[in-house]
Amino acid sequence: MHKLLLFLILPIQLLSQGYQVNLQGQVSQGMGGAGSALMQDGSALFFNPGGASFIHKNEISLNVTPTFGNSTFLENNTNSIAHTTSPVGTPFSAYGIFQIKDSSKLKLGMAIYTPFGSTVEWEDEWAGRFALTRLKLLSIFFQPTVSYRLTDKIGIGAGFIYSYGKVNLQKDLPIQDASGEYGHAELDGSGNGIGFNVGLFLDLTKHVNFAITYRSKIDMKVDKGIATFTVPSSLEDKFPSGNFSSSLPLPSVFTFGLGITPNDKLSIAFDGNYTDWTAYDTLSFDYENNTESLDDTKSPRKYVGSIAARLGVQYKATDKITGRIGFTYALSPVIDRYITPETPDANRLNWTIGMGYKISDQFSVDASLLFTQFKREATNEETGLSGTYKTRVWAPGIQINYTLK
Amino acid sequence: MKNSIYLIAAISLITISCKPKFKIEDPSFGEMNPSSYVALGGSSTSGYSDGAYHLDGQENSYVAILAKQFEEVAATSFNQPLASATGINLDGNSRLIMGYKTDCKGVNSLSPVRVAINGDNTILGANIYSSGPFNNIGVPDLDITKINTPGYGNSASGTGNYNEFYSRMASDEVNGTILGDALTQNPTFFTVRLGEQDILTYASSGGTKSMPATNGAAGTGFDGSLDEVLSVMSGTGSKGVIATIPDVTNFPFFNTIPFDGLVLDASQVTTLNAVFNGTGVSFQVGKNPFIMLDPNSPPSFVRQMLPGEKILLSIPLDSVKCLGMGTINPFSDKYVLTLEEIDSIQTKTNEYNTIIRQQAGNYGIAVVDLAEFYSSLKAGTVYNGISLSTEFVSGGAFSLDGLNLNPRGQSMVANKFLEAINKTFNANIPFASSIKYPGIIFP
Repeated sequence: MHKLLLFLILPIQLLSQGYQVNLQGQVSQGMGGAGSALMQDGSALFFNPGGASFIHKNEISLNVTPTFGNSTFLENNTNSIAHTTSPVGTPFSAYGIFQIKDSSKLKLGMAIYTPFGSTVEWEDEWAGRFALTRLKLLSIFFQPTVSYRLTDKIGIGAGFIYSYGKVNLQKDLPIQDASGEYGHAELDGSGNGIGFNVGLFLDLTKHVNFAITYRSKIDMKVDKGIATFTVPSSLEDKFPSGNFSSSLPLPSVFTFGLGITPNDKLSIAFDGNYTDWTAYDTLSFDYENNTESLDDTKSPRKYVGSIAARLGVQYKATDKITGRIGFTYALSPVIDRYITPETPDANRLNWTIGMGYKISDQFSVDASLLFTQFKREATNEETGLSGTYKTRVWAPGIQINYTLK
Repeated sequence: MKNSIYLIAAISLITISCKPKFKIEDPSFGEMNPSSYVALGGSSTSGYSDGAYHLDGQENSYVAILAKQFEEVAATSFNQPLASATGINLDGNSRLIMGYKTDCKGVNSLSPVRVAINGDNTILGANIYSSGPFNNIGVPDLDITKINTPGYGNSASGTGNYNEFYSRMASDEVNGTILGDALTQNPTFFTVRLGEQDILTYASSGGTKSMPATNGAAGTGFDGSLDEVLSVMSGTGSKGVIATIPDVTNFPFFNTIPFDGLVLDASQVTTLNAVFNGTGVSFQVGKNPFIMLDPNSPPSFVRQMLPGEKILLSIPLDSVKCLGMGTINPFSDKYVLTLEEIDSIQTKTNEYNTIIRQQAGNYGIAVVDLAEFYSSLKAGTVYNGISLSTEFVSGGAFSLDGLNLNPRGQSMVANKFLEAINKTFNANIPFASSIKYPGIIFP
């Protein structure tokens, strides 16, 4: 356990790309993100706490996926173009899974992962500067987990989630001073929330597994955020800097999974997710000091529930080398008139490949590569910003697994 | 494992420079050709804004912005009779900017102020046609019936028949005409924004000046004068666009001071009720309508303003605050639009617009519906996260004179023209980015 603790306190950068980030393990990432019914490593704690009890080893895994996301915006009518200058995201996860002595049925585990987050930064003076210049949203989930094998065929598990998050939102204000400089608003805060992750794993036959999991919604509440306004001096009293409060829902996810293992070498995984994005109806900011120019804001988001289908195939070429391939098709939760530059989202097809390499009995490494690009033309109802967003994401990732003797 | 790291590093390098790209259709003029573009109109076309004729306003008039957008397709030239940054108006004043002003009660507050004590007197008086001809022959305070009248640039013609701004840019101050100066440029393309100025001249004088008759021959009525302009301009086969006229009574100039903005305490009420005893006017604590002169309201010939009536921004506010203007010194007619005057403005606007649409149809000229654009401003609109309305200053679209648009508003008008041009002439001219044009500048 000491080794595990050591890993937990390593300083790890918490940036990530895209509001929901499905990069929680290289094995799954190589297979289109599927894997709730294919228990292979410690990431089971995330994908299916019920299946963790079917992992027959004590293992620690560390996983990171540098994410290179670039969006380009083409404004309707003016043909003006803007690019994002977002930094590289580094969603990561760490898993430790352990068997309690004398009880082969009970597993304990700790999962740390970043399932939501986004850093989007647009180039200076872009057409949407009064809607957004930069959004940095970080969340980290800590999930201690218990998994129990009821019978040889049924496993159940539950994890308690404590999440911590930070948000930093910036935009320019359409108020100009004599030198032509525009005003600027920065909202900065942190918050936390709690939830749970439960799962059921069924080892139906030698060749077919089945999974159902549910991760609850978590409301990230920001209480004493700090709002800083930079405006021409004559308007400073109308835009007082001070505290604000807000709340951001991290929606629940329901997953159905199927794992098929025709033979020792081949595995096929299918996952279907339903993410209840209806929780994200409105983004509100409640300012402590209101003035005639500074009202509390309520921006409609009106997200709709969305589904994603994931399919992956894995082939064990040799004892040491495993190859993986897969894809995801995910529907966007954002409807046209609420598309914003913070999440220029669209229905998307992700392509993934991956491989695993067993270095020794104790060490193994997995790597994957995800590619997706998508496009969305929309006019936002609240800001009037109208144009087409094109986004391309490359996410190469690597994971190191250490099996304890 | 080392290999994997190298692989990741290599992929990282490739992807960093990999931004999504767009294929953009080549811009084009379609069936129009702005190689010789002439803009006709009144104050708003000339670039008059912030209460004066000045350089910044000229460079950011909707016609100058249109010409700039034409440049996105191909090189074109657009020559303007540029003035100085200080600018001037007919009262000899410079342009307005936002600043601080101390009123008669000693209260210092954010307010439009003149950029200089005096306007730039060198602007008017000297003819600058030697640097012409001018593509923008928009003339502040233009009277449409004088657009083809020789002598409009000649001071000898006398008040009402003479325009100092035209005199400055005329090819010939004695014999030249605006329409003639347009024609000598062999225009291949033209924009027309006429009639709005005639209505504004009436409205901003509180109804003390007159509007041209709707029907009448060229030089007398609106329809004859416009018909002459359009037949002459389109006669050479050039393409053109004409704008409809908005309801100018929605402009901030007429809607900033409320008719019932007279707030009184008990002692003021007692005093005023004593003064107005027997006139039929009485006051109460709190909000009251201001008092105005009305020749149709015997025997005292004063009355309270009615809901819907408008006080003009030209009113001397210090006199209202400290000298009893609007109470013991009732407002005179030039500071007020009565219900009757508002009605005649709106009727005239509708009549002119009917003629504009009719004649545009006759001559195959594209119509840009500015009336609709200004109504959407009145209702409040949002552009790229900027809220715009017809509120004075905070509305963000009008300049500080409350009558003409600021550069951001002008660019939006330019885009309305481009919308009509692109549609009618199968052109593909990119719109102006209105966020690049300033709204109101605050100290």
